[in-house]
Amino acid sequence: MTKKSDVSKTVSRRSILKAGAVGAAAMSAPMFYARNAWAEKAIGNYPISGDTMMLGFNVPQTGAYADEGADELRAYKLAVKHLNNGGGMLETMTPSKLTGSGVLGKKVDFVTGDTQTNPDAARTSARRMIERDKVIMFGGGSSSSVAIAQQHLAHDLGIVFMAGLTHSNDTTGKDKRRYGFRHFFNAEMTGIALAPIIAKEYGKDRRAFHLTADYSWGHTQHDAMKRATEAQGWTTVNNIMTPLKSTDFSQYLTAILNSDADVVVLNHYGKNMVNSLSQAVEFGMRELQKNGKTMEVVVPLFSRLMAQGAGSSKIQGVLGTTNWNWSLQDAGSQAFVKSFEAEYGFPPSMAAHTCYCQTLLYANACEMAGTFYPPEVIKQLEGFEFDGMGNGKTLYRAEDHQCFKDILVVKGKSPAEKTGEFDLLELVDTTPRETVTYDHKIFGGELGSYEPS
Amino acid sequence: MNHIFLQILTGLQISALYMLIALGLTLIFGTLGVVNFAHGALFMLGAYFAVEISSQFGFGVAIIAVPILLFIIGIIMERGLIRFFYERPHTDQILVTFGLAIVLGEVMKTIYGANNLPFDIPKWGSGIVRLHEYLPFLEGFVAYPKWRLILIVVSFSTVISLFTLLQFTKFGLIVRAGMRDSQMLAFLGVNITRRFTIVFGIGSVIAAIAGLFGGPITQVEPEVGMHMLIPSFLVVVIGGMGSLPGAVLASLILGMSISFTAEYAALQQIIIYLIAVIILLVRPRGLMGKKGLME
Repeated sequence: MTKKSDVSKTVSRRSILKAGAVGAAAMSAPMFYARNAWAEKAIGNYPISGDTMMLGFNVPQTGAYADEGADELRAYKLAVKHLNNGGGMLETMTPSKLTGSGVLGKKVDFVTGDTQTNPDAARTSARRMIERDKVIMFGGGSSSSVAIAQQHLAHDLGIVFMAGLTHSNDTTGKDKRRYGFRHFFNAEMTGIALAPIIAKEYGKDRRAFHLTADYSWGHTQHDAMKRATEAQGWTTVNNIMTPLKSTDFSQYLTAILNSDADVVVLNHYGKNMVNSLSQAVEFGMRELQKNGKTMEVVVPLFSRLMAQGAGSSKIQGVLGTTNWNWSLQDAGSQAFVKSFEAEYGFPPSMAAHTCYCQTLLYANACEMAGTFYPPEVIKQLEGFEFDGMGNGKTLYRAEDHQCFKDILVVKGKSPAEKTGEFDLLELVDTTPRETVTYDHKIFGGELGSYEPS
Repeated sequence: MNHIFLQILTGLQISALYMLIALGLTLIFGTLGVVNFAHGALFMLGAYFAVEISSQFGFGVAIIAVPILLFIIGIIMERGLIRFFYERPHTDQILVTFGLAIVLGEVMKTIYGANNLPFDIPKWGSGIVRLHEYLPFLEGFVAYPKWRLILIVVSFSTVISLFTLLQFTKFGLIVRAGMRDSQMLAFLGVNITRRFTIVFGIGSVIAAIAGLFGGPITQVEPEVGMHMLIPSFLVVVIGGMGSLPGAVLASLILGMSISFTAEYAALQQIIIYLIAVIILLVRPRGLMGKKGLME
């Protein structure tokens, strides 16, 4: 028989343990949910010393995506100018706490780097910015493998990474990180928006041959387009993975000519796409009849810069999706286009637009948080809904750090249709945000903790 | 029929460029015994000069000026640097010419930047050729880019010219004799050194032709020389070091294998290395290499 005193002793020890656990949980809960409740310890380059907030812009200045990189850099410089002196989208963005006289009383400055369209080079360049130049945030693209590499580095070192042009599902899917954010749309949204339009335009009974850039973005773009077009009744004949460094696509194009495909889907971007599309035209693919139909070329991710590189005689009638185009008439887009044109003499690309928005969004989140402390800034961005930056109302989804907004389906204009040097894309359709919103769980991945790993 | 014809044509077109670069490489090795890793850089220089001159004065001027320029550069290179390495081991030659290639690439990067220069195909060479209109055995619509057909013709014409020069002229006879035994020729009072310098110049001229006609296809950027050098060097090794017919045969094998494996991406990336391994295992001197040379 157990003595009463023994029982009470046991019970009391358990209760103490339980009480302790409940007490600890109770004490930590409000800390988690309440704003500014954390002890703001040093994370990454926080706290900032001095009166300058340093940003790092890591863009491809060489390689297949160099044209996009050059335009991204122009936009970043403009964003810094506007943050310090006002102007541009600072006038149109809502809600906004940006003042146009720096961020949280600090002047905004920047350093630049060259990713060389190569993940290793990008990591080295980003590390230099973080360790030597003490950047509090860094951004840039293009190329999803480069963005993903930088995002992982960002999470490890506790520096927020505001991705530039990156379109792979992986960036905010299986490779998403708490410290990485993407304003740009992705391959999944392209598939959802584009497939119904091309099925309507070219018919439901089509046979597609894909050429795909052999890395993260290409793979997810091919996968998304395959699923979306097959749901419309199309057949996928074949897919060839082409190395990112390819400049001559003749052997792949010969394989397409030799197949029974009547649509070519070019899952290529930047110079890759300019070359593959130009060469497809050189091989007579826009004049060819297959299965009693005219052969068609589809470029899922289209941009004005690429259209310019290929020339309007080659892009006429080609359908694709784009994140944004300078011809949009909303106040935000126009404010950005006007200030960009005043600065550089020509309109910005979609790569420039996303980088510009990302810089403003980060700065605004710092103002809203009232601190540069990364976990607080991240919490402000998560679930943030804004307007006045082009593409209508946009949501930064908290679960995967992906922006959701209307998607534009565009078509290349013919030389006769264009009214100026940069008037290359015609808006065919706008797919509403609700239609392209998908369940964040389908791509897996974990954001990870608010404090760097 | 269309299938095989198109794939052979693409194979020929891929071979054409490798053939031109490999020809210069193997010619220089066969005569001077130098493994010239700067040959890719000569091709790159040819492409840059072609862009620059054709944009200023037209492609017609470039066709004449670029080979002359490269001939002069080749002679300067041979007299100023390469000749000091004739008696040195191949590893020294490779190191110095590799270094030279890096220097030339960096010089071009400093002048023109790291991005590719747009190289517009001249009007007479752009557009497509509707092959089905000329070749009755083709069914339906079969088109091919005119420029790529021109490249094939230029490449094979260069090969024929070089063979003619070496087989049917006195200059060729002396050079071939020099390749056998240069010391004996020197004893006979023939200035073989001067002939060999000219051969180096001719090798550079072939690189110029490759740059002129291959530039619009490979793109013109500082790294292009290195990209082209590796497969071209493989062509030389497979064909047999110093063998001109070997280089032609090997480039055709590589071009065709790349064309015919295009649908199998993983295989296509390694096919040329796979072929090199197999051929060198079975026949270490290469397909048409001389016995005992680089075996």
